[in-house]
Amino acid sequence: MKTLNFCNHGLQICKEGVLFWLEKEIAIVSDLHLEKGSSYASSGQYIPPYDSEETLLKLLDILNNYKVRKVILLGDTFHDKDAFLRMTSKVRFLFEDFTIKYEVIFILGNHENKIKIEGIKFHQEYIVDNIHFLHEAIQKNINQISGHFHPVASIKVSSKKITSKCLIHSNNHIILPSFGEFTGGLNINDPVLKPFISEDYNIYFLTKKSIYKFSNKEIESQY
Amino acid sequence: MSENLKLQPIQNWLKKNNWFFYDHQLETLNQSINGRDVLLIAPTGGGKTLAGFLPSLHDLINNKFPDNKLHTLYISPLKALTIDVHRNLTNPIEDQKLDIRVETRTGDTSGYKKTRQKEVPPHMLMTTPESLALLLADTQAKEYFKFLRYLIIDEIHSLVNSKRGDLLSLNLSRLNNISPNCKRIGLSATIKNKKSTLNFLSQKKKSKIINIREKSSPKIEILETENRVPWSGHMAGYAITDIYKKIKLSSMTILFVNTRAQAELVFNKLWQENENNLKIAIHHGSLQKEIRRKVENLMSLGKLDCVVATSSLDLGIDWGKVDLVVQIGSPKGIARFLQRIGRSNHRFDEPSEALLVPSNRFEYLECISTIASIKANLLDEVRDKEGSLDVLAQHILGVACSNPFQIDDFFLEIKKAWPFRNLKKQTFLDVLEFVRNGGYSLKHYEQYAKIGINKNNFYAIKNKNIRNRYRLNVGTIVESYMLKVKLGNRTLGQVEEWFIEGLNEGDTFLFSGRVLEYQSITNNNIIVRSTNSAHPKIPSYAGGRLPLTSELSFQVRKLISKKEYWKHFPNQISDWLKLQNKFSGLPSVEGLLVETFPRHIKNKKRYFLICYTFEGRNANQTLGFLISKKMQRMGYKPISFVATDYALAIWSMIEVEDINIILNEDIMLDDLYEWLEETPLLKKNFRDAAIISGLIERTIPGRKKTGKQVMFSSDLIFNVLKKHEPNHILLQVARNDSYRGLIDLDRLGDFLKRIKNNIIHKRLDRISPLAVPLVLEINKQTIDKSEVDEYFLEELENEILTEVGLN
Repeated sequence: MKTLNFCNHGLQICKEGVLFWLEKEIAIVSDLHLEKGSSYASSGQYIPPYDSEETLLKLLDILNNYKVRKVILLGDTFHDKDAFLRMTSKVRFLFEDFTIKYEVIFILGNHENKIKIEGIKFHQEYIVDNIHFLHEAIQKNINQISGHFHPVASIKVSSKKITSKCLIHSNNHIILPSFGEFTGGLNINDPVLKPFISEDYNIYFLTKKSIYKFSNKEIESQY
Repeated sequence: MSENLKLQPIQNWLKKNNWFFYDHQLETLNQSINGRDVLLIAPTGGGKTLAGFLPSLHDLINNKFPDNKLHTLYISPLKALTIDVHRNLTNPIEDQKLDIRVETRTGDTSGYKKTRQKEVPPHMLMTTPESLALLLADTQAKEYFKFLRYLIIDEIHSLVNSKRGDLLSLNLSRLNNISPNCKRIGLSATIKNKKSTLNFLSQKKKSKIINIREKSSPKIEILETENRVPWSGHMAGYAITDIYKKIKLSSMTILFVNTRAQAELVFNKLWQENENNLKIAIHHGSLQKEIRRKVENLMSLGKLDCVVATSSLDLGIDWGKVDLVVQIGSPKGIARFLQRIGRSNHRFDEPSEALLVPSNRFEYLECISTIASIKANLLDEVRDKEGSLDVLAQHILGVACSNPFQIDDFFLEIKKAWPFRNLKKQTFLDVLEFVRNGGYSLKHYEQYAKIGINKNNFYAIKNKNIRNRYRLNVGTIVESYMLKVKLGNRTLGQVEEWFIEGLNEGDTFLFSGRVLEYQSITNNNIIVRSTNSAHPKIPSYAGGRLPLTSELSFQVRKLISKKEYWKHFPNQISDWLKLQNKFSGLPSVEGLLVETFPRHIKNKKRYFLICYTFEGRNANQTLGFLISKKMQRMGYKPISFVATDYALAIWSMIEVEDINIILNEDIMLDDLYEWLEETPLLKKNFRDAAIISGLIERTIPGRKKTGKQVMFSSDLIFNVLKKHEPNHILLQVARNDSYRGLIDLDRLGDFLKRIKNNIIHKRLDRISPLAVPLVLEINKQTIDKSEVDEYFLEELENEILTEVGLN
C-alpha cells in the first residue's frame, strides 16, 4: 500500500489497483469488465470463460483484509449489457456474495449502455464529501476520481521498457487502472488522456510485487 | 533411353538446347510408370525439377486426359519458386506447342483468376501448402482433385519437421483419400533422414528413394587475411577489403550472411569500399517484395556483380551465372552450407566453389570443423517431430468447412499423415472439442459451437461465415507484427514492432542499404528520412541466429584442448589460445573450466560466471536457466545470461562464492519446469499456437488488431488457462514447442555427472580472452523477467531517492 494525499484526504492504493478511503471505510475499484472472455464466444472465439471468477475472487480477497463497508465501482463492471446473463452459477454466487457483504455503488460505464439487471441501480455520478466519482473524467475543475481509460505506463530501465498498469494522480484528478482480469491498457502518453491531466502529475506504477511512485518529469527525462 | 518411353517433344526441346536427359530423370520416370512414389534426393543443379515433371509430361503427351480437370499439382515452399518453375516449364511446352495448360496459384493470385481456376482448372497447378489447404477446404474439393494423377513436392526437406510440414502432411493424407491413384514425387536436397522424408511423402507400399550424390566435392577455403580477426562480433568488418577483391575477380558473387542486420552492415561497408562502382545489391526478407523481385530479375539477367543475401536466397531459384559463393560468419550447419554452396556454378557436373569468412575467432574454429565434416561426408542429425496439435485444430476446421465428416474415418485419415502416426484417439477427440466449442471442462460454450453434430453423427460447420473466417486464418507461420518503413511516399520494407520501440526520434539505422533517420510513427508507418550520419544504429532483427550442431561444437572443443592442432591455425588464432592459457587456463576435454570475474556494465559493477561446457547451445541454455534459478534463490540476484554453443555466461549483482554448490547435481527438474512456465519463449509459443489453432484470430473482417493487442490478450489467456486448465491443449503445444527449442536434458545429466569433483575454478580480476566473445554476445537471455524488472525498479527508485537526498 502507498498513501497519496488527495484533496486533503489520505487515500491508499494497493498493488492490485484498489483505492481505499479507509477513514470512510470505502474501497474504490474500476473497470471489472466481467464476462469479457465469454463475450467473444458467440463469434466463435472461445476465450477461456474463467475471467469473472478470477476478477471477483481477487477483489473479495483484497477487500477482506481491510475494514470496508462500501465499495464504489467506477463503471464498466460488466463487459456488455448481456454479461450478467452469461455468468455461470458459480460466478453469480460470488457476485451475490459480494453485493450482500458490501454496500456496492455502481457507476454506469460506456460498456453498460442499455444494461438492465434486477436489483442493481446504475449511477451517472456519486458524490462523497466534495469528491465526485465518475466513469469517465470530465474537463471541469471538480475533485474527481474516475476510471475508463485503463492507464498503463512504460518505464525504461537498463535500456528496456517495463509496461504495467498505473494510477494517475494529477491535482484534483485521479484516474484508476482497470481491475478486470482480461483488460488491456492505454499508455499515459496517449493524446486522448491529455485533456484530463495537468502539466505535473504522479503515477503509481503497479507491479506484481510492489508499487513505485514516479513523477511525470522522472518518466519524461528517460526519453 | 528405352523405346517404350515416348518423350519425343521433350527430347526435341533438349536437343535444340544441346542438353540431354540425366540418368536419374529417366529413373524417376521409370519408377513412377511402375506405380511407385519417388523421393529424389539430389544436389542443386541436377535437373531435379525436370525429373519431377517428367512422369506427368509423359502421361499428358501419351495418354488421354479430360480437358478441364486438374492433372498435376506442384507444391513448393516458396511463392517465388512456383513462378520460377512455371516459367521453366512453359519453355518446352510452348516451344513444342504442347496442349498443356500450366498456372500458378498463391496468396498473390488475383481473386478473379482464382475463381476461374476453380471453374476451369489448368492441367498443372503450381501452389504452396497454404493455398492447397484453402483449396481443400472448399466444398467442391472432392470434385476438383478427383482426377489428380501426379503430385510433386519441391524442396520437401525444408517442409518436413515443421508446422508447415504438419499442415501439408494432413492435406496429403486427405488427397490420398480423394485421389488414391495419384503418384507422388518428392524433390529434396541432400539429407540424413531419408526414410522418414519418404514416409512423409508417400502413403503407398510401393515407393522408392533415388539418391544422387554430387559428382565432385566442393572446393571450400577460409579467407586468408593480413587483418586481425576479432575476438567477438558477427559483422566481419575486418574482411571487407579482402572480400571486395574477390568480388572483383569473379563474374557474379552471392554473399551469404546469417542475419538481416549483418546483410545491411556488410552491404553498407562494401559500398564504402566500392571504388570500381561494381553493381552490388542487397536481398533479405524484410525488404519490400518489389525491391526483392527487382534484384532477383537483375540476377537472372546476369546484370549484377554481387548480391548480399540472407536465407531469403537459400532455396530453389536458378541464378545461372553465379561463380562464387561467400559465406560470412559460420554456416552453423553442414546441410545449410551445402545448399548455399550449391548456388554457385549451378551445373551438376562441375565442383562448386565457396569462401568462408569467419567473423570472430570461435567461428574460425567452427569453419575449420565445417570443412572437415564436409570432407568426411557427415550430415547434421535431425530429430523427427511429432505433429503439432494446433495445426491439427486448424486442419479439423478446414475439413469441416469442406464437407461433413464422421469421427472414425477422419481419425484414420489423420493417422495416415506421417507426423500424426502416433496420435491417440483421446487426444484427437480433445482437439476436436477444442475446435467445436473451446473444449473447456466448464461446458459453457456449447451453445456457440462452430461445428455441429447432426443426427447421423456427421460433423459440419454451422454456417458459411465460419468458412470465410477460416480462410482468413489459414497457415502456420505467425509473424511478428511488422511496421512499414516509409521514405516519402516509398515503402522500403518492414521491421518488427519491437525494434522501433528502442528508437528515439532522430536515431539512425541501416535499412535497405541506406542510413535512415527515424522521425515518427503515423498510422502504423515508420516515417524516416535519408541522412548522411556515419554511425547508424543497426537494425537487430529477431531470428536468424542458428544453433550450431552438436557434432561441430564437440569438434571445436577438441581443437582447443589439443595444443598440437594449433600449429595448423593462423598465428592470431593460436596466439589467442596461448594468451587464454597464460591468463586463465584451457577448457579440458574431461572436466569443466569455470571463470569468475567482476566487470562494469553501464557504470554498475556486475559479477560474471563463465562455464565452458562445449555441450551445445540448447544444453547451455537449460543449464543457464537452472543455475540462475538457484542463484536467485540464494540471493545472488542474477540479471541475465548468455548461452552459446560452447559456454554459458551469467552475471549477477552479488558475487558467487562457492561454485560447487551452484553446479551441484541437485539443480533439478522441478526448477526447470517451473522456470519454463515463466519464460517469454513459452508465452510466445502459446501466442503462436493460439493463432494457428484459431483461438485468437489473425484478422477479423473489417477490424485489424495491432500486434501489441494480440500479444497482450494472449498473455492474459495464458495466465488464466494455466490456473484453471493446466493441461489445456494449447498449453501442451506451447510446452512441447518450448522443450524442443530449449532443452537437452539427457546431455545435461551426463555432463553434470562427468564434471562432479572435476571443476577447475579460476578467480580472475578481469575478463579472459575466451570470455570476451561471450560477454559481448548481443542476444541475451533474460532470467525470469518480472523478477529482474523488480531489481531494476528497486535500483532506479534508490537512485532517484539518493538524488533527492532521501536515501
